This record gives sequence, structure tokens and C-alpha cells, in this order.
Amino acid sequence: MDCNRCDEEAVMHAAYSGAHLCADHFRESVEKRVRRRVRRDDLVPKDATPENPQTWVIGLSGGKDSVVLTQILHETFAKDPRIELVGLTIHEGIEGYRDKSLDACVELSDDLDIRHEVVSYEEEFGIQMDDVVEDDPENMAACAYCGVFRRDILSRYADDLGADLLLTGHNLDDEAQTALMNFLEGDVEQIAKHFDASLGPLSEREQQDEFVPRAKPLRDVPEKEVALYAHLNDLPAHITECPHASEAYRGEIQQLLYDLEENHPGTRHSILSGYEELASITSDEFSGEDGADLQDCSECGSTTTREVCRKCSLLEALV
Amino acid sequence: MRVTVDVKGEETHEISLADLREIGGDSSADTAEDKEAKPTYADLLREIDLSPHEVSVLVEGRPVPEDQPVESEQVTVLRLIKGGSR
Repeated sequence: MDCNRCDEEAVMHAAYSGAHLCADHFRESVEKRVRRRVRRDDLVPKDATPENPQTWVIGLSGGKDSVVLTQILHETFAKDPRIELVGLTIHEGIEGYRDKSLDACVELSDDLDIRHEVVSYEEEFGIQMDDVVEDDPENMAACAYCGVFRRDILSRYADDLGADLLLTGHNLDDEAQTALMNFLEGDVEQIAKHFDASLGPLSEREQQDEFVPRAKPLRDVPEKEVALYAHLNDLPAHITECPHASEAYRGEIQQLLYDLEENHPGTRHSILSGYEELASITSDEFSGEDGADLQDCSECGSTTTREVCRKCSLLEALV
Repeated sequence: MRVTVDVKGEETHEISLADLREIGGDSSADTAEDKEAKPTYADLLREIDLSPHEVSVLVEGRPVPEDQPVESEQVTVLRLIKGGSR
């Protein structure tokens, strides 16, 4: 089967668009979608200049998604003095897992010659995820603890590094799953928050001075295509799943989406585009409401809606 | 033709294309164009309960479009691995 755009052999078929593409045209198509998303989300502000460059911190886990995002952003902005990229890798203390993906991050940052910072739960909190899973004082899934600690580090370090934007490698499958989960849980306020935290164009988001804005420029690209891009470009992505991963509900939604996509190609795209429109409307609806009373955590001073933030109360339970 | 489907890190399956055609139950297969009657890589995946959206199919190390008819006796399947931070 030939590529739709040239005489080369196709390496992929996208049922949602009907396209058959060769390796080169497939790469071009992925890069184009990421750049279009950067434009549509207004990620490069008009006042960014070579004298006043923007610092973009990328959550670089070493998995295929963050590696592909870093590679494409680097290619896009390497010669643009308005944008400086910094990779931020978090070591959770998971033996035999994060060590290898950290190697992938170091290799990529060296190849691309970008600044790279590594932070560990051990140094920050005196804990290792392997031990947290053993203790499990709150009877929760590993990802629930890990997510609280990761978000704390990401936002604190983004601040310390002077980040204007915090970028993560969430792909279309990730975001369509989250959209469907929020919808099925009936959590409309969460949908509005999702828009203001990471989905909406920067210029349309409700101002959130306390937090560095987030962005997910890989979210138009299906997970399978992210993996194919990493494979075709021989990128140093780490290829083992976290041994503690256990998001049962997300797994159920993922399977549901695979089945829907098989029978109705384009379902993930339509879920996400409708969800983003809905999220924009709900964000307007909730705007100006001081629903969340933000205050400083009495333990660590981070911004929270409680007296003691979730991270501090989890650390307290773990000791 | 029998096809060996090697799901990396997991099982290896032997699948007969003739059986796949029967399972497909397409009575017009005899008269249809040869290409239309041939099972595709997606059909192979379906047989082992995998979605084309969660794997890549490689033939001689090269990714192939899953909607194409199976033309190799040896197929490698790579599962997607979750990317980490979510």
C-alpha cells in the first residue's frame, strides 16, 4: 500500500481520517498537529521576545509521550530565542523502573542539549514510592499518592525554575479518557477546572495567579501514533510500565474507547473536541465564583483549599 | 497460510488465515476480489483480543498499516506502554 502523498510504502493507517502515510509523511503529520496545537492554544505570548524569553518546563518522565513532546518542541523552537526549554524529571523511588527511564531522559537532554533537572521524592520528602505502596496508610491506589507528590514537585519546581508554562506529554487517548471519566462522574466543576488548568487557549483561561499554567500540545495525537513516532525516530524512550500502575477505572474506560474507536473511527477526536467546547462554556459559567477559598498550607506554605495541604497530610500519615 | 504472531514480552500465537476467513463468515468471499477476501493485520489482532489502537504491528521490523491484507508468515506485535506522568 502506497502513501497517499507519495510513492513510498505506507507504515500506518489512520482509520479516523482514512490516511495511509509513509514514515516521512507520518512524521510530518505528527509535527504539524503539535505545532498547530501550540498556535491554537496561544502558547507563545505576543510579548515574548529574545530579550524576554519564555521558560517552558517539560515534565520529562522518559516514557514515549514526554520524549516525543520534548523532541518536537526542541525541533520547533531550537532556533527561536523567545523560548527556552527545560526538562524536569521526577524520581519516585521505584526500583528498576525509574532508573532506566531517567537514563532515557539524560540521553535525550544530552542529544538535544537542553537543560535538565532531576528531583527525587527521597530528597524532597524522605520517601520512596516502593515503601509508600507497602505502608499504604490511606488504603489508596499507588497512583493516588504518587499523583499528589508529583503535582507538588512539578508546580514548586516550575515556580523555582521561573517557568512561564508547564508542559506534559498527555496524548489523545489520555485526554479522551479523562474527558469521558469527568463526564461519567458528572463532575461539571472539574470540567471547568480542566479548561482553566490546561486545556483552554492561554488567552481564554480564567486567570490563576497562584499556579504556573499548564499545556498539553500532544493531545491531538493518538497514543499509538506517539509510539510509532518514537519508534521511527529511534528516540531513547523507556519501555516498561510502572510496576505499581493501578488505575482500574481508567483501564475500563480505555477498553471502552478502543471498542468504540474500532466501530466508529474518530470517536476519541469527537469526544475531546466536544468536551473542550463544553469545558469552555462551563469555565465561563463558573468564572468569578470564588468557590475555592485558597490559603497557604500551615505546614509547607503551598497554596491549598485546606488548612494543611494534601501532600503534608499524606506525609504525616506515612511517618 | 499459517501466521506466527509474536506479541513481544507475552505469548506467541499460531493463526491459520483460512480459519480467520471462515470466522469472518463472508459468504461472498469466493466471488469478491482476492484482496478483499484476504484477512488483514487488524483481523489477526482481533483474533487474539487486541485492538489496533493499543499495539503496533511490525513485519520484518517495519511498521505496517493494520488495514492491509496479511502477506507475511511472521508478524511481531508491540504493545503500547503508558508514558508515565499523568
